[in-house]
Amino acid sequence: MHRNGHRWLLAAVLCSSLSAWAQAPTHPMLVAQDSLNAADTAWMMTSTALVLLMTLPGIALFYGGMVRRISVLNTMASVVAVAALISLLWFALGYSLAFTPGNGWLGGSERLWFSGLDYLKEAGKVAVSHAAPNVPESVYAMFQLTFAVITGALIVGALVERMRFSAMLWFISLWSVLVYAPIAHWVWEPGGWLNQMGVLDFAGGSVVHINAGVTGLVCAWYLGPRRGYGRMPFEPFNLGLTMAGAGLLWVGWFGFNAGSAVAADGRAGLAMAVTHIAASAGAVSWMLGEWIVRKRPSLLGLCSGLVAGLVAITPAAGFVTPGSAVLFGAVAGLVCYWGATGLKRLLKTDDSLDVFGVHGVGGILGSLMTGLFANKAVSGVSGNVLTQLMGVGVVVAYSAVMSLLLMWVTKMIIGLRVDEQSEIVGLDISQHREHMGN
Amino acid sequence: MLPSEKIAIAAHLHVLLRRKTGRVTDTEWMACNAEYATEIVGFARARAKEDGHADLADWADKLEVAMAAPNAKRPGLARYLNPETAPHPVMVTPTVTVGLNAGKASEHRYISGIR
Repeated sequence: MHRNGHRWLLAAVLCSSLSAWAQAPTHPMLVAQDSLNAADTAWMMTSTALVLLMTLPGIALFYGGMVRRISVLNTMASVVAVAALISLLWFALGYSLAFTPGNGWLGGSERLWFSGLDYLKEAGKVAVSHAAPNVPESVYAMFQLTFAVITGALIVGALVERMRFSAMLWFISLWSVLVYAPIAHWVWEPGGWLNQMGVLDFAGGSVVHINAGVTGLVCAWYLGPRRGYGRMPFEPFNLGLTMAGAGLLWVGWFGFNAGSAVAADGRAGLAMAVTHIAASAGAVSWMLGEWIVRKRPSLLGLCSGLVAGLVAITPAAGFVTPGSAVLFGAVAGLVCYWGATGLKRLLKTDDSLDVFGVHGVGGILGSLMTGLFANKAVSGVSGNVLTQLMGVGVVVAYSAVMSLLLMWVTKMIIGLRVDEQSEIVGLDISQHREHMGN
Repeated sequence: MLPSEKIAIAAHLHVLLRRKTGRVTDTEWMACNAEYATEIVGFARARAKEDGHADLADWADKLEVAMAAPNAKRPGLARYLNPETAPHPVMVTPTVTVGLNAGKASEHRYISGIR
């Protein structure tokens, strides 16, 4: 009798699990407004604002401070224009291609132009995404929009001081639709083929950082170095601006990583904690590395180290414990220091602001370490280094090949580089007829 | 020539170019980057010849001469830091020496990479 009771209990649990599985949404849909979770919605809206703050003005300041004074405004204008353009493209195409089911390779057309992101007051219904059924789909789509924006803005750092403004806008627009959206679909949409294979990327180690880093490296190589690169010093305009940008990145990253839990819950809290710990460990380890190698710790080194730590913990933020986060940050600080110095010299490419050295290298490292350190107790899943390696390889290959192709297309249509005179005069004046003031 | 004197000449040329040709330039960059200065001198001369602005050509000449002259340190500061010429005994610490050479050191630092 007692055994039979257990069987009944087991059967009931199985039935309830199967029924829950059968009811798990696979498409965006309309639900009753009171089924939403207010706390989750509030946190996701806050996170969206935080992630946008990372780009505007975070990346604009971070990059603007590192270029020469003759191209500061061009760098900032590039970031602002990229943010605006990608937002429109995400609304028109990107969100639907990335976050509707479609097939394993690409999403469908049901959310083109944000169609169907309904809020029906009279009917008491609201649209939700199957990937985030607790919050309005408008909030989820906006949260993901800010990721698309920052990924495009990161690439700007590899192209500064020599690429035509119009060419840069064409390239990044095409790239956002043809490279970012498909990769986001593969990794993050529940039916995406990399997601189905078990590749773990909590907040964008591969979708955002490897993707932007590899694209930056390929573009910098294709574009060629800045005039005088390797012969004359390229003095940064104002590293104080860079520090202000790095501070905004650090704070905004709480939205980036903890927001990726898509809920105001314990996992989001843990993601926030590991994010801060990894950033701190990254800053300290880069500082120590630089102190030992160069005999001086630099402000730029500290800022770069904290970003390296943040990049590395990004794919792992919802899968690892705070203890592991120290290791993620510490290793990333040192490896990315090498990436932005030793590896950069080996690659002989003017990746001007080290988009690959910090984001590419940090993203690859973080993704692989996620395979090692993902803790089943935290998330219910455990990692696999080989699966992660496969995910990294696919993103690197697709990103590199498509970026090369799109650079070629852009070159054919409008040309890539400013002329020699414009480069000497600086892009602020040659591209915008503006200057910093005296 | 003192950097401030170069900036003064560049500022004068900046104002003239803006008034007479509408061209906007970067004064500080003009006073420290020879390549940019050469570019602007060429432009100023061409427009002076085209439109008959003699003063524009004069200031272009002045900038060319200024850019050819080596940068001088502020005499007061140099005198103060040199123990032999200082008005009273001073201890020139390695930190101060490094401070004087900081520009040179940072020049090397930013060749082939920012980090």
